[in-house]
Amino acid sequence: MWLPFMGLVIGIILGLLTEIRIPEEYSNYLSIAVLAALDTLFGGIRAYLQNIYDEKVFVSGFFFNIILAASLAFLGVHLGVDLYLAAVFAFGVRLFQNIAVIRRILLTKWSTNKEKVEKN
Amino acid sequence: MKKIKVKGKHFILSLVCLVLGFMIAYSYHLTQIETQNENRDISAKQYEKTLVLRNQLIAQEETNRKLQKELNKKQDKVLKNEKGLAKEAQVFLNLAEDTEKYRMFLGKVKIKGKGVKITLSDGAYDPKEVNINNYLVHEHHVFKVVNELYISGAAAVAINGQRLTSHSYIVCNGPVITVDGVQHPAPFVISAIGDPDVLSSSLNLTGGVKDQLVNDNLVFTLEKENEIILNPILGSI
Repeated sequence: MWLPFMGLVIGIILGLLTEIRIPEEYSNYLSIAVLAALDTLFGGIRAYLQNIYDEKVFVSGFFFNIILAASLAFLGVHLGVDLYLAAVFAFGVRLFQNIAVIRRILLTKWSTNKEKVEKN
Repeated sequence: MKKIKVKGKHFILSLVCLVLGFMIAYSYHLTQIETQNENRDISAKQYEKTLVLRNQLIAQEETNRKLQKELNKKQDKVLKNEKGLAKEAQVFLNLAEDTEKYRMFLGKVKIKGKGVKITLSDGAYDPKEVNINNYLVHEHHVFKVVNELYISGAAAVAINGQRLTSHSYIVCNGPVITVDGVQHPAPFVISAIGDPDVLSSSLNLTGGVKDQLVNDNLVFTLEKENEIILNPILGSI
């Protein structure tokens, strides 16, 4: 279990320590990518809790979503349409939905556990 | 086999976590830097304000500079004026001294100094002489004495206490003489301020004034005085 946490910590440290500067207009893409990654992550957690978790789907979804979101924003900038808003909207809605599902599942699990404890 | 699979699963998961952590941290980092930059960079409004203020400052400094130059010029002027005043003061001092001297000559002030006192008296009555004019003091005698005194450097001369000026006149008027309209009887006391030695020796020259007066049967007395006080002329003579 500690390996993913190690990876997270190392990633954060690397991110804070990098001195690579990207041009300002690309920071939009980065935020979209972050949003996509978060969405995928919560999606994965939800799938895991619903017992439909598939690693391939999760990993491919993670990277593919990031790239897709970034390229969508890139396209939007070049077309003069704020397409990244679409990505933000879509990912935002999905993020909230996923979190809501996770919450409900956790709540159900907790209450069933309680009932079991009471029965016993 | 299962263990390896689990490990592989964890490995992939850690990779995902690493990427996620990196992206979040990097984004955070970037945003922070941007915020800093934004704080450092001033907005257009502020820039305009700064520009206006700077221009104002520059204008002010230019004005200051101009005023400073003007001040320097004015100070130079003041310096010149002061020098002029100093010179003028000296001139005034000289003038004051001159005035004092001229007043002395004009008889407008009371003066005091060493000098001589000459008394001219009529000669004693001589029954042998038919003409009394031969032993009376005449105005030309007085003239001679006064002229001799002036020639030998007397600063001020007075007859019977009346100061003589540059435009004084002496007129023979019977038994008396008139000096500037004031009649004076004999004996005539002529006081003169000047170097007593010079004055007396010039009067005592052989064949000089004294001898001539004595030849005219007059009584001539000469005294050196350490202090003679001559009063100023009264009125506007």
